[in-house]
Amino acid sequence: MPVPEKLSPSQLFNRCDPGQFTFETTAQLDGTTEIAGQQRAMEAIRFSMGIGHDGFNLFALGPSGTGKQSTVLHYLNRLAPDAPCPDDWCYVFNFEKPRHPKALRLPPGRACALGSDMDHLVETLFSVFPAAFSSEEYQSREKEINESFQERQGVAIEELEVNAREHDIALIRTPGGFAFAPIRKGEVIKPDDFMRLKEEERERIETEMVRLKDSLQSIMAQIPKWQRESIEKLKELNRDVAGFALKPLVGELRTKYAGFDEVMRYIDAIENDIIENFDQFLEREPSPQDMIMVGSGPSKPGPKGRFFIRYKVNVVIDNSHTNGAPVILEDKPASQNLIGDIEHTSQMGTLVTDFTLIKAGALHKANGGYLVLDARRLLLEPFAWEALKKAIRTRQIRIESLAQLYSMVSTISLEPEPIPLQVKVILIGERQLYYLLSTYDPDFNELFKVAADFEDDMDRNPENHIAYARMIGAMAMREKLRPFDRDAVSRIIEHGSRLAGDATKLTSNLQGICDLAHEADYHASQQGRTQVTADDIQAVIEAQIHRSSRIQERIREAMMRQTILIDTTSERVGQINGLAVYSLGDRSFGRPSRITARVRLGKGEVLDIEREVEMGGPIHSKGVLILSGFLGARYAAERPLSMSATLVFEQSYSGVEGDSASSAELYALLSAISEVPIRQWFAVTGSVNQYGEVQAIGGVNEKIEGFFDLCRERGLDGRQGVLIPVSNVSNLMLRSDVVKAVEEGKFSIWPIAHIDQGIELLTGVPAGEPAPDGSWPEGSINARISCRIEAMAKKLKEFESDEENGDKTKCSTEK
Amino acid sequence: MNAPMKTRTIRTIAVALDCSPHSKASLEAAAKMAARLSAELVGIFVEDTNLLRMAGLPFTEEIRLYSSTTTKLDEAQLERLLRLQAREARELLERTAEALTVRHTFRVMRGMVPEQLMSAATEADILVLGRSGRSPSCRKGLGSTARTALCESKRTVLLMRPGFSSAAGPLLVLFDGSEGSRNALETALTTADPESTLHLVVIDPEPESAEKLEQEAQTIVGERGISVEYHHLPQVGGRDLVRYLRMIDSGLLVLSDRMNLPEEVFNELVSEIDSPVLVVR
Repeated sequence: MPVPEKLSPSQLFNRCDPGQFTFETTAQLDGTTEIAGQQRAMEAIRFSMGIGHDGFNLFALGPSGTGKQSTVLHYLNRLAPDAPCPDDWCYVFNFEKPRHPKALRLPPGRACALGSDMDHLVETLFSVFPAAFSSEEYQSREKEINESFQERQGVAIEELEVNAREHDIALIRTPGGFAFAPIRKGEVIKPDDFMRLKEEERERIETEMVRLKDSLQSIMAQIPKWQRESIEKLKELNRDVAGFALKPLVGELRTKYAGFDEVMRYIDAIENDIIENFDQFLEREPSPQDMIMVGSGPSKPGPKGRFFIRYKVNVVIDNSHTNGAPVILEDKPASQNLIGDIEHTSQMGTLVTDFTLIKAGALHKANGGYLVLDARRLLLEPFAWEALKKAIRTRQIRIESLAQLYSMVSTISLEPEPIPLQVKVILIGERQLYYLLSTYDPDFNELFKVAADFEDDMDRNPENHIAYARMIGAMAMREKLRPFDRDAVSRIIEHGSRLAGDATKLTSNLQGICDLAHEADYHASQQGRTQVTADDIQAVIEAQIHRSSRIQERIREAMMRQTILIDTTSERVGQINGLAVYSLGDRSFGRPSRITARVRLGKGEVLDIEREVEMGGPIHSKGVLILSGFLGARYAAERPLSMSATLVFEQSYSGVEGDSASSAELYALLSAISEVPIRQWFAVTGSVNQYGEVQAIGGVNEKIEGFFDLCRERGLDGRQGVLIPVSNVSNLMLRSDVVKAVEEGKFSIWPIAHIDQGIELLTGVPAGEPAPDGSWPEGSINARISCRIEAMAKKLKEFESDEENGDKTKCSTEK
Repeated sequence: MNAPMKTRTIRTIAVALDCSPHSKASLEAAAKMAARLSAELVGIFVEDTNLLRMAGLPFTEEIRLYSSTTTKLDEAQLERLLRLQAREARELLERTAEALTVRHTFRVMRGMVPEQLMSAATEADILVLGRSGRSPSCRKGLGSTARTALCESKRTVLLMRPGFSSAAGPLLVLFDGSEGSRNALETALTTADPESTLHLVVIDPEPESAEKLEQEAQTIVGERGISVEYHHLPQVGGRDLVRYLRMIDSGLLVLSDRMNLPEEVFNELVSEIDSPVLVVR
């Protein structure tokens, strides 16, 4: 198998031609931006927002920074203004059940008007009622009722008095009540005069007095009844007067709110209540014990008495200034911020509440529109997820105070009437969250039927180039950055490709691109430039790398000092430079690692030391097992593989995971078996399958650059290079200094498709093609390996037969 | 017509106290009048001998007001209760008078109430008492004591009722040009609050004499600075007069028993009207 050509500099970096742009700087762009490269997600969003059925809520999933939120908001902000504006909602006092405030629905802008109308009504009643009740008509009727009671009582007593007088008996008021006494000439008869009367006379008087006493008692028994009748009459008068004074005011309200049945019923209730409590309006200032300051904020206009709170209208949703459907982004989706809350106020050390303290939540605000929530934040808030699901499932918002629910506050609370809910909920989160919820929450798939899966990257093509440019231009305009010239835009696009880890893709992590643009703008300002240029972008990229390269440099320094042994000059048997990628936060870098292989006589097992000490991950172990499969199938298909091999990542003090070193391990093993040394100025990456084909790996750019940095520090001599899987060539977006070194012939990148190509390049010895009889050409690597394995098999056989014989001899001697 | 007026200077005001709502209104009105005129206030409490005699009778029973039950009247207990009432009346007088810094004395008398009051009133310039006291039939007509005071007292009598203040508010003065009515006007002007409105009700059937009477009254009012409104009323019966007066305003009615009003009209007016009445002698 011929050794492939090393890659040309143009294959190492997919340059973005600034000439393709028609603008000089982004200032010439119109500042509009379109969502690029997210067609799948956009279709899902369009579908979810378009379908009216229940449960078709949306979960926008994808890695952070891919613009999920801005894409969703961008779409909703275009969609929402054309949608109908939802109704207003307000809570009012429930005159029948004060603990259950009623919810009223009104067209947009009318709820506040109702509130003002009610305030105005109460205010007006403070002048209307006192006037009505101090009118001469009322006063005289009231007096008449009182007088008629007095008169009824008086007449009855007077009749009795007259009757008594006819019998010379007077009715006299005593300090504690009444008494009858016989009189003579207008004066009560003296006791001794009375005693001088004839006995018959005395008896007559006494009998008469008993009769009169009985009559008086029966009159007195009637008095409470008369009093009740009089009070009832007075009440009726008050109702008539209050009703008459109130009628025109309430009539106006009825005309204004005709057609709103709920409001009409509320007005009826308020009318009855005002009539029943007319006396509250006669006194302007409520007594101090009735006073309550609602909240600690500025005092509300109008009467402040607790009593009058019942006539207030608590407008929880006012859509008077809403254009179309509301789009609400709730940044803190705590339960009370979602479904609303019932606040309390302290009064004389006790917590009290009323319907005016009902606070709307995000669901109220978004009712009739769209609610956008961050899934992670939502799940972090206690009870919020369950509250949201309940609201969507039951299609109503029921405000439940958590404090009340969990007995944190044991005081009188309210149960406001639930409000019907019609909302599209959009959750935004990482893919993992979506899959976890989908797997473990049985409600989730019912309630969030649509997933908008955001791509990590997008195709790199002229349309997306211009979309990138527009995005940068719009951001520069919005955030007042310097305009970016087209070279700078091109450089950003190239960097976007590098972040995507693919020369044919662009990253969708627009947050990273925006951050880069901000840094570049700052750099340009430091340089005194009026535009951001490619140099600024380059400087910023280098600065970013530098800022995060402390560990990388420490490791390289250790290599330079030979603390970590990496050979880049000699040739060694069973030793190779593998390449590993380290990820620290959002940055990753590559570094060479020495891999060694030793073989000995054995029974065909390849021992992965990393696995033995449990420092190797399962994928790594799988890679090692694959290469032993390759080894067995190729060289020992029809004979025993009579060797044991050990493989190890030298000086590795943390775990190893991934199979990207499996080709390097195989090379080391082949070298160890064949005893042909490997050129240490090469580094290798790539996984291998059981047929010896080299397969793609991740982080190819970082790996190449990691080895390049070490070689450059030691001095590039033209021999050094990296063997990469041929399928990774399209991923190459290498640093300009690497490309430059390749251009100057100081460094090489080799695309490898098969192990045979790699081993030939690494050893300088041909791998050898198998003859039809399965033999290998003389002197080739494969032939050497084959011979060695055969020799080992023979040795093992001899050893085993010797051992068997020796044992028998020993046994017979003993006998 | 321009003869000098012989109105009595008010130095002492006697007020009948019996702890009834009417007597409280009387005390208040009397105290305010005394304060305005720097007069002395004399509170009179009469221990009714009728009550004491009644307690002495072997069979009389008291019917309790709020339970309608009966108990035997005990003389000692009654004495105690009367003393208690007297103390209450004195305290009320002291409180009211001291609040207005009015000189005051309190007298307890024993005997028949009207007689005792009349004898006390002879020492005072005005007798103030409730339209009805603690008499059992507390209707709107006059009580027995008030009736006796109207008939027998030689002094000016002010009959008060609760809910009115004689001090502030409008005054209605009946004027027919007679000496009595001139006296009444003069007394009204003396006792009235400068802020009150004086409704001068000229009673005469002849329109031309009405104007003359008005001028006459204007002369008496002179430069007092009190706002006066004139009303003309025909000579009518007591009930109609009450109705007319009600239409004008509701306030203290000032009149004299020496006016040209027929006696039955005078009596009917005084007993029917539901506002306080000042009868000037």
